[in-house]
Amino acid sequence: MQLPKSWSDIDVYTFKEIRSISTDNGEWTRDIETLAIIMDVSTDSLDDCDITDLTTQMKSINFLNSEPSKNFKNNIENYIFKPFEQLTCGEFIDLEYYFSNDYIKHISHIAAIVYKKHKTDEWHNLVYEPYTYNPNNRSEEFDNVCVNDIYGIIPSYLNFRKTFLEKYMLLFEDDPGPEDEDKNTPLSKEDQEHKSAVKWGWERLIYSLCNEDLTKFEQATNLPLILAFNMLSMKKDLNL
Amino acid sequence: MVTILNKEIPNQLNELNIEQFEEITGILNDTSYDYIEKHLKVFEVFGFTEDDFQDTSLDEFKIYVKEFNNINTKCNIKKSVVIDGYKYIGVSGKSFILSVRDTKHIEKIMKNKHKGYLSEVLSVLFKREDLSNVEHYDPTHIKHKSKLIKNLKAEYAVPYLIEIGKKLKQKVEIQNAAT
Repeated sequence: MQLPKSWSDIDVYTFKEIRSISTDNGEWTRDIETLAIIMDVSTDSLDDCDITDLTTQMKSINFLNSEPSKNFKNNIENYIFKPFEQLTCGEFIDLEYYFSNDYIKHISHIAAIVYKKHKTDEWHNLVYEPYTYNPNNRSEEFDNVCVNDIYGIIPSYLNFRKTFLEKYMLLFEDDPGPEDEDKNTPLSKEDQEHKSAVKWGWERLIYSLCNEDLTKFEQATNLPLILAFNMLSMKKDLNL
Repeated sequence: MVTILNKEIPNQLNELNIEQFEEITGILNDTSYDYIEKHLKVFEVFGFTEDDFQDTSLDEFKIYVKEFNNINTKCNIKKSVVIDGYKYIGVSGKSFILSVRDTKHIEKIMKNKHKGYLSEVLSVLFKREDLSNVEHYDPTHIKHKSKLIKNLKAEYAVPYLIEIGKKLKQKVEIQNAAT
């Protein structure tokens, strides 16, 4: 069987499968599972092979130990990449969720957020579709694209995120929690408030953005990210 | 055989059984023991106690250790073994082949290196000729077989361990060459 020669021959779904293989059962078992995925066969079907042959085959797919391309495509089929600076609050919050819950596993979901349908308005401005769809429903479309086409959004977003969080550090900082917390001692009112603030971090920020009016929640999540965080910074600075 | 404190104890691969060999290699690889402790523990496997060596000088003790460790490790792979009238085959062709299925089982066993792991590894490799794969890989059958195999001499185990080691080395070399 013809084995892939580089990441250019691997789609996102296969990439996720490969990266989800655990090394807990040993290096050889990992290699066996990797080859089975690449060859699209069950591991049982390789049972009678000589491990030496498999080891030799692993040599030709050694590129799997490296990272896919850090460049990503601007256009994927009908979708166009939306620059991170133009994200809305809602998109950013969802991206944060996927990035903090295994971004390799969720790479298709992430792509489903940052790649948008688009059109040009009467003034020839590029207009992105609103974030009214569920990324879960669209993620499968990105499973079939070449991993090299979208993998680069991961390191790019992480860079953007680092700069962004540094810039708005004050908004993400909470008062330090109680030290040496004794679990048997009932929490003080302040401690309970602190715990709640951590638990409801994003909701608290959005709540503040919509001036504690929940009917404006959707409007707040549709606000451009940079504008929203500038407003939040101002509110915090001025203690509004 | 080697004589220690006037007692003959096995030290060659055709004298030690697999259970003793596993115990000894386990002790020798245990970095928590120093040189003396390590070898006192090894001699305990053969019924000695620490007190037995109370009147032994350090130089004498070193000679015992040197003699005990003088092991001839050269032995050919034994393709099959007969236990209780049943033939178990380890190599069916001209040379040893480690199958993917056996590798998966062996890696699982080697992962925690529990007591008796060596005979269990051998149990995976030696297959009773009258049984099918279903019975062969059955965990209870493997357990049963490892109880039989642990009494075989270490000369049955070592060549197989060397072969597995060679394949592992080959894997590491291929990995290193490509990176």
